[in-house]
Amino acid sequence: MLALEAVTVRFGGLVALREVSFTVAQGEVLGLVGPNGAGKTTLFNAISGLIRPRGRILFEDRDITRAPLHRRARLGIGRSFQIPQPMKHLTVRENLEVAQVFGAGRRDPARLTEILEVMDLGGQADREADGALALQELKRLEIAKALATEPRLLLLDEVLAGLESGAKRAFAAKLRELHARFALTIVIVEHDIETILGLCSRAVVLDFGQVIADGAPAAVFRDPKVVASYTGAVDA
Amino acid sequence: MASPRAPLPGLALAAAFLVLAALPLLLGASNYLLGLLISALILAGVALAWALLGNLGGMVSFGHAAFFGVGGYASALLAGKLGLPVLLTVPLGGLLAALASLAMLPALRLSGPYFALAILAYAQIFRILATEASSLTGGAAGLQRYPGLPTVFGLDLASRPGAYALLVALVALGCLAYAAIRRSALGLALRAIAESEDATRVVGVNSVLLKAWMLALSAFITGLFGALNAHIIGFLEPDYAFAGSWSVLPIIASVFGGYRTVLGPVGGAVVIYLFDQVVAKGLIAVGHQILLGLLLVAMVLAAPNGLLGLLERKGGARAGA
Repeated sequence: MLALEAVTVRFGGLVALREVSFTVAQGEVLGLVGPNGAGKTTLFNAISGLIRPRGRILFEDRDITRAPLHRRARLGIGRSFQIPQPMKHLTVRENLEVAQVFGAGRRDPARLTEILEVMDLGGQADREADGALALQELKRLEIAKALATEPRLLLLDEVLAGLESGAKRAFAAKLRELHARFALTIVIVEHDIETILGLCSRAVVLDFGQVIADGAPAAVFRDPKVVASYTGAVDA
Repeated sequence: MASPRAPLPGLALAAAFLVLAALPLLLGASNYLLGLLISALILAGVALAWALLGNLGGMVSFGHAAFFGVGGYASALLAGKLGLPVLLTVPLGGLLAALASLAMLPALRLSGPYFALAILAYAQIFRILATEASSLTGGAAGLQRYPGLPTVFGLDLASRPGAYALLVALVALGCLAYAAIRRSALGLALRAIAESEDATRVVGVNSVLLKAWMLALSAFITGLFGALNAHIIGFLEPDYAFAGSWSVLPIIASVFGGYRTVLGPVGGAVVIYLFDQVVAKGLIAVGHQILLGLLLVAMVLAAPNGLLGLLERKGGARAGA
C-alpha cells in the first residue's frame, strides 16, 4: 500500500531522514518507534505532504512524492497531529463536515454521526473545538477528522501520549476496533513498548533519521541496536 | 463570534433591508439625502466584499481600491468607447476586476501583514496604469463622456430614487450570497483556513484555490460597485477611482459594524458615511476624517465585535434583565 524509497529530508545542515526505505502492506498495523528526534514526525510530514522530501513515496502504486497535501488526503491518507490542530471556531461536527466534504468528496451525515459515536464525541458534537475540549477529546477529534476523509491509510502521531496505562489499553482497543471497522491500514508513532507489542503486527525503529530495525515487535525490541538507541549505549 | 448556524440571515436580513429601503420615504426623499444614501450603499457594497475576504479566508486587504477603480474604468470604457449597454458593462466591470485579482494569486501563499502589504503595492500599479495610459483612459484628466445608468421597465436608474433602489437590491443580494457561502461547507472551510490552514489542508481542502475564489469574488463585487458608482457620478479620474479611501473606508466600515457578521459591514458603512458627511464635516471642514478615526477607536475599545456585536450584547442584557 505504501512504499518509501530512499526518503531523505534535510533542514539546512541537519539530515532529519536519511535514505529511509520500507513498505507498509494493506491492512497492517505498523508501529513507528524511536527516541525523541529520531525523525518519526518528520516522516509523517513527508508522507502526508507537509514537507517535500528527496526520494520517492508511492501510495497504492501511485507516485505521490510531489502531490500537494490536500491531494494526498483525497487519495486516502489521513493523519493526526501530535499537538492537536482542530479547525478553530468550528464545532466538532463542523470539523468533521469539512473533512468529509473536501476529503471524501461527499456528504453523509449518518457516517459523521457514526464516527462521532465511535470516537466518544457524540456529546461534544455542537461544542466549539477550540477551547471547549479537553486534550484527550482533541486527540480523539484528530482521529475523527481523519476518519471523516475516509482514509485507507491512517497515520497516528502519539495519540496515546499522556494517558495512564488503563486508558492507554482502552484506547489501543479502540484503535483495533477502528482498524477492523473501517478497513484501515495504520502506522502509529508510539513510545510505549507494551502498546506496540499489543497493537502492532510489525515495528520499524528509526534512530537519527535512519531505519535501524524492522520486523515483528517482540524481535525488534530485543535487537541490540534498538536497545542501544534507547539506552544510549555505544557499540563496542 | 456568531455561529454560522445561527438563524440570522433569512428574517433579519429581510427586515434590515426593508427598513433601509423605506428610509428615503421616511426621510422625505430629498435629493441630498438620497445622494448620501447612494454613496453610503456604494461603500456598503465594497465593505461587504472586503469583509467577505477578511472573514472567509482571513485575508486582510489594503488594496480594494484597485478592484473598485478597475471596475469603474472598465465599465465606463466599454460603454463609452465600444457602445455596449451599461447593464452589460457593469457586470463586465466586475468580471474584469475579478480578472485583475488573478495577478494577486502569488500573494495568496502569504499571510497576515505580508499579504496586506503585497496587495497595497498592487493597488498602486493600477492607479499608475490609469494615469499613464492616457490615450485610453484620458490620463489624469479622466473620463467624462460615457453613458449613465439606463431606464429599465419604466424605472429610471439614473434618477436618485432609481439608483437607490438598485443599490439596495444589489447590497441585499450581496448579503444573501455572503450568508449562503458562510453557512456552506465551503464557508466553514474558509473560516477554518483563516486560523488553522494546515488543519484544513490535511483533510483535503485546497486552501490556495479557495482563497483565490474568495479574492476573485470579493474583487468582482467591488468592481461591480465601482462600475455602478462610475455610471452614477458620471466622471472618473485615477486619483478618485483608485483613491486610498476606497481601500481604507471599507475597512473602517467593516470593523466599525462588525466584520465577522453579514450585516455589520453594511450597517457600519451607512453609519460612518452619514456620520462623516453630516456630523464630522459640519464640525471640521478640512480633515474631518480624523473624527472617523476617533469613532473607530472608540468602537474598538467599547465593542471589539463592532456595532452589531454591541447591539446583540445590549439586546441580550435587556432580554436577561
